[in-house]
Amino acid sequence: MTVLEVDDVSKHYRTGAGIDDVSLAVAEGEVFGFLGPNGAGKSTTIRLIMDLIRPDAGRIRVLGRDVHREGRAARRHLGYLPGELALFEQLTGGQVIDHLAALRPANEGGARVPELAERLHLDLGRPIKELSRGNKQKVGLIQAFMGTPMLIILDEPTSGLDPLMQREVRSLMEEAAARGAAVFLSSHVLSEVSEVAHRVAIIRSGRLVATETVDGLRSRAIRRVEVRTADPIPPDVFASVPGTTLVSVSGTHASVDVTGPMDPIVKALAHHEVIDLVAGEPDLEDIFLGFYEGQRKGPDDVA
Amino acid sequence: MSPDRPPRWWTRSVYGRALHDERRALVGWSIGIAATIILELALYPTVRNNDMSKLIDSYPDSVKQLFGLADFATGTGYVRAELFSFVLPLMVVLFGVLWGSDAIAGEEDRGTLDLVLANPITRRRVVVEKAAAVTTGLAVVCVAMAAALVVGDAAFSVGVPVARLAAASLMTFVLAVTFAFVGLALGAATGHRGAARGLGAALAVAAYLLSALAPLASWLGPWRRLSPWYHALGVDPLGTGIALDHLALLCLVVAFLVAAAATTFDRRDLAV
Repeated sequence: MTVLEVDDVSKHYRTGAGIDDVSLAVAEGEVFGFLGPNGAGKSTTIRLIMDLIRPDAGRIRVLGRDVHREGRAARRHLGYLPGELALFEQLTGGQVIDHLAALRPANEGGARVPELAERLHLDLGRPIKELSRGNKQKVGLIQAFMGTPMLIILDEPTSGLDPLMQREVRSLMEEAAARGAAVFLSSHVLSEVSEVAHRVAIIRSGRLVATETVDGLRSRAIRRVEVRTADPIPPDVFASVPGTTLVSVSGTHASVDVTGPMDPIVKALAHHEVIDLVAGEPDLEDIFLGFYEGQRKGPDDVA
Repeated sequence: MSPDRPPRWWTRSVYGRALHDERRALVGWSIGIAATIILELALYPTVRNNDMSKLIDSYPDSVKQLFGLADFATGTGYVRAELFSFVLPLMVVLFGVLWGSDAIAGEEDRGTLDLVLANPITRRRVVVEKAAAVTTGLAVVCVAMAAALVVGDAAFSVGVPVARLAAASLMTFVLAVTFAFVGLALGAATGHRGAARGLGAALAVAAYLLSALAPLASWLGPWRRLSPWYHALGVDPLGTGIALDHLALLCLVVAFLVAAAATTFDRRDLAV
């Protein structure tokens, strides 16, 4: 079942920022990564989903409910961690969570709170104004994960957390997905997303430039291939092979960058006696940066 | 959620939290207003027994009108001039405008409104709960005000009937709610707390001047009906009791302001 549907949504600001024709869908049990540099439109998209701002065009549904016209129903089973988290400074962490749980009665919020506080090592008795940034973030995480939300929207969830806590948050996402919730994970850090997400959308300057599985993304990454042959390799052996860029060739040794499947390069080498063939690990960071900078255009590009 | 004890009552609603947030301010303003009243009333025996009345009689009418200086010979005249013409309503109205303009716009400014609205609650509901909290808080302050008036009146033999003190306190309360909701509506419509606060306070002062100065300039006369101040205290509830038609009119204005706040807030984008 589709939990979150964003259909052709646009939102423009006079400053030129905003998003253009963004469409995506997140299914039950899926962790969906939403990647992009700061200012690309990630938080704008999330605030549109939360009905905090209104789109110029398009529609957004959560569990089949329009987030504006049926906002209360849409938000009944929703957990949300804002990117710019602001909590009630005068209250304790526990009071903040009590308050938000009370506003979300269908979510049975209270039940998991002690467990979550223990896992994240947070003392709920302390006033928010005395908490460090990381501890405030934990209060935000607890209220987003508490109860049994069907959609959990996280805007840069691990900012301010140490690596141990980042791992705990990753488990929380995995557990939520395992019980059937959809997790919408927004981040500008690739590693945060690639380790937990099933699919990723990449947004740049307000437009989605790619939506695919993490595996698919990996297959599009550039891999450095080192070839050693028995006879000297002619310099033009890869010239007509799609998806390759020759880095160097000297005698029996060639170094070539490959995007996509390995088949074409293997076929091109078929007439030579290959002694050694080493393919490097796909560098996701590289393709990710490529999307950011708009230098490498893939088949899904709309920009 | 604290594992070992049930949630506090005020965490259960936006209304409860709004009141809890302002609890210290409520106590402070109540004490300040009650102290002002007791001090003024304690001076009454002295004023009545000396020549202050003659001094005031010598002032020009315009000055007397502006500051509500009138017959200090009677307790009602004294309380009207010293407390209800300006000081008490100004204090309560100021508290109302500050709180009202902060209710939506202040929370939006601090960024905490995002977390509230992420829940299955409508924006209209948030406005109505905030408005109810401000109304409750102003009622608390005005009950403290009325109590201090009744106690001071008895202690210093001022001689104003309790019913009239209650009537003037009630109208002061309605006046403060009116301007609190002006601030609420401006903040809800614009999201700018500072602008809502400044404009709300300026409108309150302008309405006061309109009501107070109208008797001095005949051309202003018809316009004073635009001033909530006129409908609340200009019609002299302290001297004549509550005028139901004026009270009903103010209640309509209050209802309109809440509706305007809810509607405008519901339509706009929240600030980041």
